[in-house]
Amino acid sequence: MKKILLCCAGGMSTSMLVQKMEKEAKEQGIAVEMLAVGFDDFASQIDAWDCCLLGPQIKYKLAEFQAIAAEKHKPVAVINTMDYGMMNGKKVLNDALALINSRGE
Amino acid sequence: MGTLSESLFGIIENRISPVAARLSTQRHVTAIKDGFISSMPFLIVGSFMLLFAHPPFSADSQWAIAKWWLGMVASYSEQIMTPYNMTMGIMAVYIAAAIAYNLALSYKMNGFMAACLSLMSFLIVAAPQTNGSLPVGSLGGEGIFTAILVALYSTELMHFLQKHNIGIKLPEQVPPKIRQSFDLLIPILAILLTLFPLSLLIQHHFGMLLPQAIMAIFAPVISASDSLPAVLIAVLLCHLLWFAGIHGAVIVGGILQAFWLTNLGINQQALNAGAPITQIFIEPFWQFFIVVGGSGSTMGLVFLYLRSRAPHLRSIGKLGLVPSMFNINEPIIFGSPVVMNPLLFIPFITAPMVNAIIAWVATRTSLVNHIVSLAPWTTPGPIGAAWSTGWDYRAIILVAVLIGVSTLIYYPFFKIYERQLLAQAEAEEKQTLQTAESH
Repeated sequence: MKKILLCCAGGMSTSMLVQKMEKEAKEQGIAVEMLAVGFDDFASQIDAWDCCLLGPQIKYKLAEFQAIAAEKHKPVAVINTMDYGMMNGKKVLNDALALINSRGE
Repeated sequence: MGTLSESLFGIIENRISPVAARLSTQRHVTAIKDGFISSMPFLIVGSFMLLFAHPPFSADSQWAIAKWWLGMVASYSEQIMTPYNMTMGIMAVYIAAAIAYNLALSYKMNGFMAACLSLMSFLIVAAPQTNGSLPVGSLGGEGIFTAILVALYSTELMHFLQKHNIGIKLPEQVPPKIRQSFDLLIPILAILLTLFPLSLLIQHHFGMLLPQAIMAIFAPVISASDSLPAVLIAVLLCHLLWFAGIHGAVIVGGILQAFWLTNLGINQQALNAGAPITQIFIEPFWQFFIVVGGSGSTMGLVFLYLRSRAPHLRSIGKLGLVPSMFNINEPIIFGSPVVMNPLLFIPFITAPMVNAIIAWVATRTSLVNHIVSLAPWTTPGPIGAAWSTGWDYRAIILVAVLIGVSTLIYYPFFKIYERQLLAQAEAEEKQTLQTAESH
């Protein structure tokens, strides 16, 4: 079971994306768990997840969050702007899985 | 136009954004912002309860419900006001505790202890007991800036003492829980030895409590914040940041919240006293009038997208319609995209600015009521506007007008963009046909 955390300002728009990603995961038969949170919950949540994707509107938080997550060896990345706007669940899901796998190598 | 817009975008991307980003990741700024966010539920429900004490009917209304409601308010005003008085009415108490909690967590200190210490510090300077009760005058809007300063001071003091290992030394055998109970003794004493004398000194010399003195210092800034130029600068800054792909509303709103709440406190006090209501620039004014449908006031743009001939825009419109009704428009901003799109830059900045001017004038000329209540920012525009103006139906009309105006502002740019996209699609189609033929 892969666990993906998504994070934006209030966890609102990422929760829309999570919906799309969940649908996609179901179709592909991939076992994933996802959660969208606001950025003030990042530090308390990251422990419980394999990776974190940031909404592009809070990309300025990337360095700060990577520093927190590095201690726990969890990758953090910013979602591609266009994929985010189009709510491209498939693409973001694949990117997230690739992100988790890249850490293992 | 190329070089001009490029240099402008360069300034936004390389000068404004990094400063804003650094500001919004700064420890104290983050703690203040998160403190406000944690206190917000109390303020939203509390200010909602306030509206029950002020029915939206005139005193001579003959309507049965109106008469009953007015009668209830007349006979039970104190009871009806209690939920408001104990939440929004003393909001600075919650804010003082919440900011300290968040700041302490950022230092990996005990948040609860820090919150309690801050609460004590705040009560000492803002509500010293007189005649057997705590005066609440400075615990509401008047105390917000004091609450911020006291929360930062008391938590920093606690952090300083902890960092330099100043405290009561106990032998190793003492269990951690018991040790913890001694941890706060020195910080409390330190507050009593620093903040308390300062408060006494100000009371003695100026005959005011510390919050009143601080408000006197901040008064010019607060009155400047409630002006049309200030609104326009804030709107401009927010949208420049969005344009660079950064959540401008979180950053600008985080800084403005202290002013918004102070202004709201002034309005609510006037409402309760039956005095004229004066302040305009409060969060609902921003959320429901200036940025209808989300930053950039994109509600009108969504309607244009829905009927667009360009399939890309139509699908963005469909994707963005429902979230936009709840003021969430990331699909529009990133999908269109508005971010770094020179064509949509102009209406994206202009529409909310024009909205701000219209709504400002409408409020000033009493075409709509002033904001007297908070509503969750995700409330659909017309409902949120009516709610926060004390159920003024004219606010709904104003929102409709604002959507119409912003649609008109977006329309020419939308048309050009649509044509560009269609031409692009056509060119691509031709190219694929040509490559197919050449094979």
